[in-house]
Amino acid sequence: MYRLHLASRYTFARPVSYLAMVAIGLAVMALIVVLSIMNGFLEETRSFLRGTTADIVVFPHQARYAYSRDVLEGAVAEHPDVASACARLVRPGIFKVHGRPPVFHGNSLSASQHQVLVLGVDAKSEIKSTDFAEYLDRVENPEFRVADPSDPFDLPVEDIREREFLYTQSPTVLISEEMMRGLLLQRGDALTIVTVPDSALQLDGAPVRPASQTFLVTGAYNTGHYSHDQANVYMSTEDFRSWSGTQHEVSELYVAVSPAADLSVVRDELDAKLRSIGLAGQVETWEDRHRVWLGAVENERNILLVIFLFFLLLVCTITFSVLTMMVQQKVRDIGILSAMGAPAGGVGAVFAVCGIYIATLGGLFGLVSGVALAANINKVKDALENLLGIEIFKKEIYAFSEIPVALDHTLNIAIAGVTVVGAVLICMMPAFRAARMDPVEALRHE
Amino acid sequence: MNDTGAVLPADSDSGPTSMASAGEAPQEPREPVLSARNLVRGYRMGEQTLEVLAGTHVDLYAGESVAIMGRSGSGKSTLLHSLGLLDRPDSGSLVVHGVETTTLTRSARARLRNKRIGYVFQFYHLIPELSALDNALLPRRIEVGPLRWIGKQKEMREHARALLDELGLSTRMAHKPSQLSGGERQRVAIARALMSEPTLLLCDEPTGNLDERTSEVIADLLFQVSVERSHTLVLVTHDSDLAARADRRFQLHEGKLEAFGA
Repeated sequence: MYRLHLASRYTFARPVSYLAMVAIGLAVMALIVVLSIMNGFLEETRSFLRGTTADIVVFPHQARYAYSRDVLEGAVAEHPDVASACARLVRPGIFKVHGRPPVFHGNSLSASQHQVLVLGVDAKSEIKSTDFAEYLDRVENPEFRVADPSDPFDLPVEDIREREFLYTQSPTVLISEEMMRGLLLQRGDALTIVTVPDSALQLDGAPVRPASQTFLVTGAYNTGHYSHDQANVYMSTEDFRSWSGTQHEVSELYVAVSPAADLSVVRDELDAKLRSIGLAGQVETWEDRHRVWLGAVENERNILLVIFLFFLLLVCTITFSVLTMMVQQKVRDIGILSAMGAPAGGVGAVFAVCGIYIATLGGLFGLVSGVALAANINKVKDALENLLGIEIFKKEIYAFSEIPVALDHTLNIAIAGVTVVGAVLICMMPAFRAARMDPVEALRHE
Repeated sequence: MNDTGAVLPADSDSGPTSMASAGEAPQEPREPVLSARNLVRGYRMGEQTLEVLAGTHVDLYAGESVAIMGRSGSGKSTLLHSLGLLDRPDSGSLVVHGVETTTLTRSARARLRNKRIGYVFQFYHLIPELSALDNALLPRRIEVGPLRWIGKQKEMREHARALLDELGLSTRMAHKPSQLSGGERQRVAIARALMSEPTLLLCDEPTGNLDERTSEVIADLLFQVSVERSHTLVLVTHDSDLAARADRRFQLHEGKLEAFGA
């Protein structure tokens, strides 16, 4: 009984014990917050990549075949695990905005020229195979929303701005909410997109004439991922072909697979099937396609686990120092306890329990504060930004509009648990030293 | 041998220094509470060994008081620590309540010390974080496990309160040592030593750190409780007045105990 009693008195009578608890808590908290953000980053990245990529993507060998969209879609749809497929046409472009002041924003080449990747999609197929409908629904500003989400490229006449009536018959385009906000655009505004036509790739010495067309903005989409939203505009496949002059029907085929299916197996089977009918191409799962990205994030998470070992070392050093100091200060008490008949193990246990108190309370503090901070990191970020007047989280750099957080409670408890166990184990060294102390020498200690 | 017949060098075969040899022989032979034979304890000082106890004999009986005097560095505290089982002699025999303690393990000696021996130190040696009451309770907390403590807590607290009350500390029980005077601290230390109802009360310069008046009060208290409770009181002291109140007095000289005074 005296072990718990004395340990609590020794621990809670010393400010240094509280400092040690706070230090342990801060270390645990920091790690929980950083790992939660890293997990959130990984989850968001995976969700974003999966949402914008679909489960499996087929890249036809354009140089060899002018693929028929119907034939390719039909071949893929024969696989029992394929839920749906949608073809996309992809082409880089540069656009210029009409009737708006020049603004430098995002991927701008200059204040009046903005670089984008133009995606030609069939809206109905896209909605079935990707998170396209969700991106239309996620638009925050009601004035930017498309009139009809089931037909996002339709622009009602009443939405066409007065000065743009010149372009009433023009094709339409869907741009991101971020881009609309940044370039001060509104629905019905006109912009001209320029690209290099397929004929320019013949390399036959003929002069290259860029393909150019003016489009009206029907509204916005919002994936929540800054880098994607800064770089992509959508138009219908018909408008895409008309604009770019391409003869191809498919640049990429996006395939949605039933949730229970193994993507790698479906990928291999689709690859074999396409080869067998002479439609060879590159078949990749969404993870294959973004393996470098995902690998980098995963790798950073592993690096964090290595950093965790350093945190653990730091915590152990703090606890060891505090306990060693406590034993040093309590040498005479060790002699007193021995004189009162406390066995060596009991004397050591007093200090071991001190270490358990410090490590456990510090670990608990870290766990609770870490989870609380991680769960409210964006509120804290906003408050700090308002208070300090600086931008802490630059979405242009991190590609997310908010700090992504994913709380993994098992991992958090494991972090706190391993830290506490490590600190308790290291406490055994000074406790063991206390237990081995000669009581007579201890009583004489000045 | 002096006129009390109490000089017993290490190689003497005339028997241990005892109450009987101090000239006040009991009517019937009694079993000593503690019996030390030929205790030797030395400390290595570089190449040399300083022999502090060089074959010390002593028998201590229930209810008697014994004073041990000697020059500084003569080994009084070493002897007290050996008798109190805090220190293990290099050789010799030390029997406490019929148990040969020199062969006991450290934890067995700790148990015996907890139940049979109470210590009072010159500098009180109270735990600064504990109140007077908790300091007094310390030996009992050590003695009983957590479960027994829960069952006996009330009874033990009552016992400690009664003891502190008896020693004039009824209003100081919740005070920390730093809030007590020297005399009060020493009374708390005495209460702590008495808490386990020991048979041996070992006091190392118990008045050495107190003024004259407080020293007298503490000395009265020690002798009073020794008589009332039949404890064997062993006083290591430089104070000849205090020593004069003991039933027997010894001088520690060259590692051996020599009885003196009537």
